[in-house]
Amino acid sequence: MDLYIPVVVLGVLAFGFAAFSVVMGSLTGPKRWNRAKLDAYECGIEPTPQPVGGGRFPVKYYLTAMLFIVFDIEIIFLYPWAVAFDQFRGLFGLIEMALFIVTVLVAYAYVWRRGGLEWD
Amino acid sequence: MTPCTGKEGLAFFGCDPWWLILGKGVVIFAFLLLSVLMCVWAERRVIGRMQLRPGPNRAGPFGLLQPLADGIKGALKEDIVPRKVDKFIFFLAPVLAATPALISFAIIPLGPVVSIAGHKTPLQLTDLPVAVLLVLAMSSVGVYGVVLAGWASRSPYALLGGLRSSAQVISYEIAMGLSFVAVFLYAGSLSTSQIVSAQAGGGTASFFGLFTFDTPSWNAIVLFPSFVIYVFTMMGESNRIPFDLPEGEGELVAGYHTEYSSLKFLMFYLAEYINMVTLSALATTLFLGGWRAPAPISTVWPGANSGWWPLLWFLGKLVLFIFFFIWLRGSLPRVRYDQLMKLGWKVLMPVSLGWILLVATLRALRNNGADTSAYLVVAGAVVLALLAGSFVWDAIKGPPPSAADEPEPERPAEPEPAGAFPVPPLDAPHYHGSHHGKEVPSGLH
Amino acid sequence: MGLEEKLPSGFLLSTVEQVAGWARRSSVWPATFGLACCAIEMMATGDPRHDFSRWGMERASGSPRQADLMIVAGRVSQKMGPVLRQIYDQMAEPKWVIAMGVCASSGGMFNNYAIVQGVDHIVPVDIYLPGCPPRPEMLLDAILKLHDKIQNTKMGAHRRKEIEELERAKLRALPLLGQSDVPRIEPPRVTQS
Repeated sequence: MDLYIPVVVLGVLAFGFAAFSVVMGSLTGPKRWNRAKLDAYECGIEPTPQPVGGGRFPVKYYLTAMLFIVFDIEIIFLYPWAVAFDQFRGLFGLIEMALFIVTVLVAYAYVWRRGGLEWD
Repeated sequence: MTPCTGKEGLAFFGCDPWWLILGKGVVIFAFLLLSVLMCVWAERRVIGRMQLRPGPNRAGPFGLLQPLADGIKGALKEDIVPRKVDKFIFFLAPVLAATPALISFAIIPLGPVVSIAGHKTPLQLTDLPVAVLLVLAMSSVGVYGVVLAGWASRSPYALLGGLRSSAQVISYEIAMGLSFVAVFLYAGSLSTSQIVSAQAGGGTASFFGLFTFDTPSWNAIVLFPSFVIYVFTMMGESNRIPFDLPEGEGELVAGYHTEYSSLKFLMFYLAEYINMVTLSALATTLFLGGWRAPAPISTVWPGANSGWWPLLWFLGKLVLFIFFFIWLRGSLPRVRYDQLMKLGWKVLMPVSLGWILLVATLRALRNNGADTSAYLVVAGAVVLALLAGSFVWDAIKGPPPSAADEPEPERPAEPEPAGAFPVPPLDAPHYHGSHHGKEVPSGLH
Repeated sequence: MGLEEKLPSGFLLSTVEQVAGWARRSSVWPATFGLACCAIEMMATGDPRHDFSRWGMERASGSPRQADLMIVAGRVSQKMGPVLRQIYDQMAEPKWVIAMGVCASSGGMFNNYAIVQGVDHIVPVDIYLPGCPPRPEMLLDAILKLHDKIQNTKMGAHRRKEIEELERAKLRALPLLGQSDVPRIEPPRVTQS
């Protein structure tokens, strides 16, 4: 665990600095209130009413997030394999991972074919 | 804690006394803040020079105090919290953006083991068995800051900017993660200090048994495609030109930080530049040999890789990389969002997967005692032949027919979509006035 | 009111005033607000020949939340008036306005119903810059004069004292010929603090 203590130390420093800055930001500086200042900025136009809860946004972003999770997990499988690669005897490790990558590529091709990667 | 002497690898870490840990942490923290100031200054000056302008030069000597003036002014500005925002998240987002950016630098090796006040300690805050994973994790947490800022602002521009940024960063994170795999394959470790020492010297290779030569040791040369992919993803991860879609002024005002002012805005600004520094430092560590002296220096001067000198090489490489970032910003336009996603998902990802398989194959063959240089030469010949073939093919086929050459195909009348707003046909003849009492028809003007 | 305004009058406040003035003067981020032909001259002020980035002004701010200076470059039509006011209102304090060109200052040649006769009908203006359009050098001069104003802005207790003195000076001022012999007491113009 000793290895991780410095990370925590730097994290505490960083968090302290960021939190202190954000709090200081609200304490310093002049404050003059008006109605328009507290509205959202929409290029000088009266802001359009936002639906409660933030409203809707394109489903593409959701799809991207799902695909990210799928492929990110694949990468996490690749890391230990890469680290331990030199300890494999023969071509076992290579063929195993080639099979895995090809399987993922099939899914990838399917997503591509179905237009999951199109953004227009 | 017990002093670490005579140990190798990761065992060097985690045995500093508490004051050394604190000291290193504070120094790295101060270094990062200072590097942000210097980056902002360098960026504005360099881009100014690239555009034949002097750039900021009034605040302090050479304008060096310009970023400081920006900071003080930002701190003294009014802190606006719009009425409809989600207050807690609105305050949390800048903290979430800045904190992980600062943490990532903990695992960057700045130099070898040196002696500080009698303690032998590596010039690195710490190293973990999963050090590079920490960087990836922290960059993922940093995305939360951006997307929550967009979400909490309750403003369309901010929301779109936050969503765009998160989609972009996670898309490029896949390609970035894949570009690391080849490095881990060569180093056999995820810890940054061991990746650096794996780049200490290249092996020897023989050319069909005729003569032997030293292979280069930097991953940027050995694993050149990985390096190129990493540089692409670096641009995407740091939300900078040419991939600065989340804050493109032309379309989204200021993106996710549209509603942020004062120090809260500066936290995002800070996080962006610290991310730039960290990504450059990671590129230096993983691909450019880390703190090790570049080849000609280390050959003629054996002492270049010991003591405090490596700090100089590390900073030199870091500065070069940051300059590269700035150079790109000075020369490239912004890409379109669909082009950005296409590059990330359809080009970088399959290319890196194929490259990983190739590297792994070569590595496995070499581990089993095969003469890989022969394979390399054959593969190179095949690639060259393919390139030459495609060139000849293009030359024979001639240039592709351009749109102007082809006659415009007759468009069938588009059926009016049901329920749409009725519009007149778009190719209706235009009114060109009347001549001698008769209307001039379209096209006779 | 922020913390820095609550400092006791004296050496500390003067120092803070000077540092704040220097920082604010050295880093005036303009809100992009080009309306007409003057905007072309405003952009020309950023070119290699004139280059307002020397004063750290090339960082134009898309969002008014981070902007300090609104350069109203061009005539303001009646329809643009509310938009301009909204953006000005949404800028974070402290903020300044330059009315660039004669149209923004007084309506200029557009003496008609469609154009606001001077942007000071809508927002408080710090610097009026004549010219049709003013050359980049003139805009630079206006910006430098604004820098002077920013540098010498008083804060907190000093500001209150300054207001009091201005008020007293107004009261002491002799009436001019043709004016009523009862001195008018005008409230001091408080634009910025």
